[in-house]
Parts: sequence; C-alpha cells; structure tokens
Amino acid sequence: MKFYVCIKQVPDVNAPLQIKEGHLIQDSDRNILNAYDASAVEEALVLTEKHGGEVEVVLIGSEKAKETLRKALAMGAHKGTHILSDADETYDSYGYAQILAAFFKDKEYDYISCGKQSQDTDAGLTGSMLAEMLNLPYTTNAVGLVANGESLVVKRQGDTGQEMIELPSPGLVTCSNDMNDPRIPSLKGIMQSKRKPVDTIAISDLSGSASEAGAKTTILAYEEKPEREPGKKFEGEPEDIAREVARLLDTEANVI
Amino acid sequence: MSTQLLTYISVNDGKIKRSSLEVLSRCNQLAEKHGGTSAAIVISDSVSGIADELKQYGPSAIYTIEDPIFKNHLNTPLLRAMSKAVEEIQPSVVAFASTEGSKDILGALAANKKAAALPDMSEFELSDGGVKGKRPVMASKIISAVEATGSPVFISVRSGSYDVAENETNPEITSIPFSFSDDDLKITLREIISASSDRIDLNEAEAVVAAGRGVKDEEGRELISELASVLNAGIGASRALTEAGAYDPSLQIGQTGKVVSPQLYIGVGISGAIQHVAGMANSKVVVAINKDPDAPIFDIADYGLVGDLYKVLPPFIEELKKVKSEK
Ligand SMILES: Cc1cc2nc3c(=O)[nH]c(=O)nc-3n(C[C@H](O)[C@H](O)[C@H](O)COP(=O)(O)OP(=O)(O)OC[C@H]3O[C@@H](n4cnc5c(N)ncnc54)[C@H](O)[C@@H]3O)c2cc1C
Repeated sequence: MKFYVCIKQVPDVNAPLQIKEGHLIQDSDRNILNAYDASAVEEALVLTEKHGGEVEVVLIGSEKAKETLRKALAMGAHKGTHILSDADETYDSYGYAQILAAFFKDKEYDYISCGKQSQDTDAGLTGSMLAEMLNLPYTTNAVGLVANGESLVVKRQGDTGQEMIELPSPGLVTCSNDMNDPRIPSLKGIMQSKRKPVDTIAISDLSGSASEAGAKTTILAYEEKPEREPGKKFEGEPEDIAREVARLLDTEANVI
Repeated sequence: MSTQLLTYISVNDGKIKRSSLEVLSRCNQLAEKHGGTSAAIVISDSVSGIADELKQYGPSAIYTIEDPIFKNHLNTPLLRAMSKAVEEIQPSVVAFASTEGSKDILGALAANKKAAALPDMSEFELSDGGVKGKRPVMASKIISAVEATGSPVFISVRSGSYDVAENETNPEITSIPFSFSDDDLKITLREIISASSDRIDLNEAEAVVAAGRGVKDEEGRELISELASVLNAGIGASRALTEAGAYDPSLQIGQTGKVVSPQLYIGVGISGAIQHVAGMANSKVVVAINKDPDAPIFDIADYGLVGDLYKVLPPFIEELKKVKSEK
C-alpha cells in the first residue's frame, strides 16, 4: 500500500499567545507537528507495517518547517517531500488544497491521508477540498482504519454514532486524533531520519493552479477572547457545599 | 442583485436539528436587514413533513430534494445534491449548522464551486460582496475576524450562536429534480453502528453534565446519569473517558468533539484542558466538581465545588431534587 500523508507544522496551542495590533504573536520555537496529522502518520505506519507498503509525508511550509517533516520521518515514514513556501506567503485551506492537488496530479498511490483539521485554525477543509479537486472518494473524521483487500474500511465519527465506510483505492481519508497514540520517535529513528530522502520543490515548479494558489478568505484581525471570570470556589464538607451550590443554582444563577 | 441566503436544514431521525433553525433564523434577519431572501433546503429520503414544519421558521422559500439514497449517510450524494441546488438557486451565501455531517462536505462543496468557505463561525454578517464574521481559533483561545468574498460563500455556524425565532410564513415549496447514478457512488456505506436516538442531543441540550477521568467506575457513571436525569440534561464526556470506552465517542465535548452551549454545564472530574474547554466555554453557567483545588477548570467555573465527586454528588443530587420539588 502506498500512503501519502499530508502534514503541517502548527504553533503549539498550549504555548503563550499574544495579540498585538490585531496580529498574533507566538513563540516560533514552539511549533509542532499537527496532532491530527501525527495520528494520520501513525495509522499509515501501522497499516504498512502490517500489510507492506510505503509511507511518504508531504509538507508545505517554510525552511523552518523541515524539522516537522523530519519528525514524521523519525516516526518511521519512508520518504518526504517538502513543498517550500516563503514564510511570508499566506494560504488558506483552499490555497493549500490547490498546491497539494497540483503535487498529486501525476502521482500514484492507494491513499492520501490528512489530519481532520489543523490545531491552529481548526478549519477542517483542506482534506475534502483536495479530494474534490483530485476527484477522489473520501471519508472525513476517521477514528479507525482497517485494510480489507483492495479497500480500506474506515470507521468515522458521525453526529449520532459511528459509521463504517468502505473506501476504495485510490481515495482520501482525514484522521481524528482519537484513533491512536502516535509513537514518539526513538533515538534510532531520529538518526535514521537524517538519511531518509527528502525532495524539496518550489511551488512555482508545480503546475499552473499551484502558482495561482493564494487565499479566498482573509483574516482581518485576531482578537482576544473575552475571558470567563472565575466565580466562587466552595470548599468544606461535601454535604454543606453541595447544599449551598444547589440552592445558588436556583436562586442566583436561575438555571434550574 | 439582492443577496440570496440559503440555509441547509439538517434532519436527524425525521427531526429538524435546532442548530439548523438557529442558522435559518440568523439568515432571515440578515435578509430582512439587507433586502434579500432567505431560503431553506431540505435534502432527505423523505421531506414532506419536514418542509411543512419549516414554514414556522420564516424562510422565504423552501427547496427540497428527495431520494432514497439519502437514507444512507454518504457524502457523495449529498455533495452532488447540494451542488445541483446551488446551480439552481444561485445563492450568494450557503449556510450550514456546524455538525459532523456538514463538516464532511463543506470543503468539497466549496472546491466543487471554486468558492470560499468559512467554517465554524461564532457570528456572521453580510459584507460588501461576501460574508464577514468571527471564528474561534487556536483551540478557541483566540477569535479570528475573517472575511470571504465571491459568490457563493459557504459557511458553517457553531451551535448556540443564535436564537431560534419563530415566524410563520407561507413560502412556496419547490422540489428540485435530482437523480443519482450509482456510478457516481464511489463510496459504499457498510453500516451505521452505535447510533443512538433516544438520548438528549448534546448540541441542543439546555443542560449538560460532562464526565471526566475522575469518574472511574460504574458507580461514578451511575451518579452522572442520576445527576443528568434530575436536571433533564444531556450527558457528555471528556476525551479521557470516550477514549477509555466509558462513553460513546459521539458524546465527546471539545476541540475534536462537539461544541455545546447550554444554560448549565456541570463538569465532573474534568481537569479543564484547553481542548475540552474549546467545546464548552460558551455555556452560560459553568459548575465544576473536582478534588484538586488547582484544577484549571476552576478558572472558568462560576461555581466550583472542591471535593471527591463520589462524596459530593450524592448530596448534590439530593439537594437538586429538593429544589426541584419545591417549585
Ligand atoms: C489535538 C487534541 C485534541 C483534543 N480534543 C479533545 C476534545 O475534543 N475533548 C476533550 O475532552 N479532550 C480533548 N483532548 C484531550 C485533552 O487535552 C485532555 O487530555 C482531556 O480533556 C483530559 O480529560 P479529563 O479532564 O477527563 O482528564 P484529566 O486531565 O486526567 O483530569 C481528570 C480530573 O479529575 C479530577 N479527579 C480525579 N478523581 C476525582 C474524584 N474522585 N473526584 C473529583 N475529581 C477527581 C482530577 O483532579 C483531574 O483534574 C485533545 C487533545 C489534543 C492534543
């Protein structure tokens, strides 16, 4: 099975964030592999370890984002492609999907997989946009993948329950991080990753649509979210605090 | 040309989802303000009762697409049907409630129409030639003000962002012809597992009781059920518990799971990790029960009870029963 996994470098949402005049200031040293993508890599590795095949990771990003590509290689991916973008260029999901679609146009594969969303924007559009651009069948929000002969059986989380979907090859699947615990690269894996092949391509080397890629949506500004104020904390005998809060929910908060 | 807004009405088990009516109500408001129209579309294996019920919520037109194929939850038929509807109706804004079902097709639909998409908006407004609004980003720690131009713009809206307004109208119901060829069906549905329809829908619940890792066993889950039943609340869970198999994964609240915005949220044995908070921070009143006085959830709780849930919940349930019975 040939898997391509699209991965992204994202700022760690646990790191301190600041907004200055509408711009988001984040510590650029705290960038990580998007957790949903890490799960997609893990799942592809498990499947190819079991059934044979190869995992190639593809990342669009600036020079600095290469560290994230190396991380996926250290986890065990066989090869990487770095689609080099200028740090100043901004793309939205549509732009990323266009670049990826141009990259995949002449490639052969069984499955492309992506994280179901990116931890920073939480948009969750790129995967299904890419599938439509490549005219591939797809499933989003996978929480389980099983190889079944020529196809994949995908368990996806729907609104009211789980759905089992047979996804023929070639197809695309986006992964939730509820499906596995991505492996932490071993020292050996890290050493080996340095010798693994990484192709670097410029966006301008890709076909027409990619060099036109930009953004259909604009971020006007970032704003602080109004913080919730901490309320009252009740400590003491369980019976006492339980009684007090139950009464307050009625008389003060008016919610029961 | 005046702006045409089109709301996709999501239906589950023959029932219209409140979150869709919230979006329709907002679109009605915007149509009135800007002098456009606000239409609704229902796509289902059986639409008649639904279309009639929709009249109560004030759309200026109702479109339907009916086909047995929609009985199965497959994205390709829905994608093709919406794509056809957009061609017929030529709306400038297409709005969905943000659900797993709509997330499944939003991107593909936008790509199909070479159009912009703004997912998971917490508020939206018409702008010059498009839509602008706000959406939470960075696990809902930050709000991003965004805009998209062009026509149509596809958006999805977080549940609880707007109120449902009733306003009976008598719109025309137009059925859009649609035929789906099996050749287009690139994906085959195997089965739907664990779809449960008898419980309270989390997105729509007025009260939510959420269980976290502190809820360790059957006894704890019993207490959660009892508390929920006293309050007529929906039950949710943190990822720690859905992952452990203690609760159905569809009950997960948070960045990866559902976004809830009830009047009352009670988090029991939940630490308050940002990814969980991302899904519940818009609750009106937050109550937290946790034995660790420094648990981050207390920073956002209106009422924090510090204590062992196994000791606090039994008297809390009793007291709530008393308060209820005194009413
Ligand atoms: C990309 C990503 C997405 C994620 N998405 C989600 C999501 O959508 N939803 C989600 O919930 N999580 C999500 N997570 C996981 C999240 O980071 C936390 O790990 C998770 O929310 C923790 O769940 P918890 O609070 O139940 O468990 P813990 O953090 O382990 O907290 C348990 C709490 O219970 C308290 N406790 C223990 N025993 C008792 C007792 N007897 N009485 C009272 N209190 C007790 C403890 O003091 C502790 O505070 C995501 C993580 C990542 C990286």
